[in-house]
Amino acid sequence: MEILNELRPDVDFENETALIEDGILDSFDIVALVGELNDAFDIEIKPNDLVPENFNSAKAMMNLIEQLQD
Amino acid sequence: MITSVLNWLETSAKQYFNKTIFTDSQQSISFSEFNRLTKSIGSYLAAFVDPGSPVIVMSGRHLFTPACFLGIVRAGCFYAPMDAEMPLARLNQIINVIKAEYMLVDKKHLDIAQNLDFNGKIIVVEDIINTPHNEMLLNKATSNLNELSPLYVIFTSGSTGVPKGVITSHHSLMCYIDAVCSVLKADESDVFGNQSPLDYIAAIRDIYIPIKTGASTVIIPKNEFSMPAKLFETLNKNKVTALCWSVAGIELPAKLGAFDILKPQYLKKVCFSGSVMPCKYLKIWQKNLPDVMYVNQYGPTEATASCTYYIVDKEVSDDTVLPIGVPYENYTITLLNENGTAVKNGEIGEICVSGPILALGYYGNPEKTAESFIQNPLNNNYRELIYKTGDLGSYNKDGLLEFHGRKDRQIKHMGHRIELGEIEETAKQIKGVLDCCALYNKKKEHLYLFYTGDASSKEIVLHFRKVLPGFMSPRKLVNLENMPVLPNGKTDMQALKSYFK
Repeated sequence: MEILNELRPDVDFENETALIEDGILDSFDIVALVGELNDAFDIEIKPNDLVPENFNSAKAMMNLIEQLQD
Repeated sequence: MITSVLNWLETSAKQYFNKTIFTDSQQSISFSEFNRLTKSIGSYLAAFVDPGSPVIVMSGRHLFTPACFLGIVRAGCFYAPMDAEMPLARLNQIINVIKAEYMLVDKKHLDIAQNLDFNGKIIVVEDIINTPHNEMLLNKATSNLNELSPLYVIFTSGSTGVPKGVITSHHSLMCYIDAVCSVLKADESDVFGNQSPLDYIAAIRDIYIPIKTGASTVIIPKNEFSMPAKLFETLNKNKVTALCWSVAGIELPAKLGAFDILKPQYLKKVCFSGSVMPCKYLKIWQKNLPDVMYVNQYGPTEATASCTYYIVDKEVSDDTVLPIGVPYENYTITLLNENGTAVKNGEIGEICVSGPILALGYYGNPEKTAESFIQNPLNNNYRELIYKTGDLGSYNKDGLLEFHGRKDRQIKHMGHRIELGEIEETAKQIKGVLDCCALYNKKKEHLYLFYTGDASSKEIVLHFRKVLPGFMSPRKLVNLENMPVLPNGKTDMQALKSYFK
């Protein structure tokens, strides 16, 4: 959550559920985000993981991270 | 003789009648149907808009947007496109420069349009696309159109905090499109994949190459650029053969590993521009698509998109620096040193451009125009304007032009031109910011803002997001007790750069 808020303090990550579909996060945000998440959680987000369902909400991102940590 | 882009449109509409010209995420449109749309929009406007006046277009990533552009031309006018995703404050600045009486918007952006400081008439595109054609009115509206009539005004960052509107003629655009088509060998078999926002200079290729050659363009939804597999799927589904993207756009699929999932099968030509290509990403493209022609382009909006090109003729390695190559047809490049004389061969000088591709100037700003478009100091005999790009270049031993960065504090970030001065002016509007300095960490592609004062970083970012496009918002904010200064009292930028990590 901290990463998200630092990346885009203007976005309400608690409540948004269509971050990708509504175009709230753009491609440059995604590139930055993938790098930061990989570093912070010691995971490797693969191209196949880059689908809207995994990034549309903070919760979806958390699920992806947990899945990759297993 | 061809005097306007309408001649191209008339010819291609006849020749490629039922062929598709534009495809968006919803639908496709044929040349003849597109031509019909432009005549409807033109007939509607020509009934009351004075020929020769600007019309604002605020419309999304769909095929009605280019139809609006050409419809406005049919009414004898020129268009000024705006991206509705920009903050209201930025849109208001543009409105204030262009002072248009009419704005075309799509239904989706009507709400935004109504909330702007715009006193003219707002026209919804969807409402006028079936206007009956009035050929007599259209002929009358364009009777005064000549090659040097303005075609569009496209806005770019200005160092004083006000965007500059670059106004370009039909003739300049046609010269550029002719030149780029011959380098790309573009023809009716090509399908272009559009990445650039339609209000941005880079989109002129995606819009006008089809109109000239019978090719077609697929307008790719913006969010697909975040999801690389989807992006390449779209390229394959539409059999896209050619990409003219920003460097940032070409980097994305390589950075996000798109080639590990699938490869674009139909691509033949990839040209890129907007900033310096980091070759570690181009290498990934070359490795996966070795038979594609890669073209590096260089040039400012003021000289109609691109001045020079370089066809990449070998495999690149991570540290290859691509030359910007040779001038396009109808572009003349001169390198001048500080006192306005030609540099010796091999020396670095300011890249200056001349030829029929020079913009008509900055809209409503004769002072700035006179400053940037000047008489060629090497020519005392007749009038010959050159545009001083502010970029530095030199010729290498093969006679190819190489790029050496900027003379001033303009940067390229995510494919966009940004004046660091504009970032600082914007930050200073915030109460809690006393002093500040904007710098760019090119390696990490991070825009930094160093500041003194008690504003929180959140406050600052929120302000930027309110007044400037997202790409102009600083990514890293550093709050300092005091700004480091040099003995001459100026900010010590080198000291600040030690914060880059």
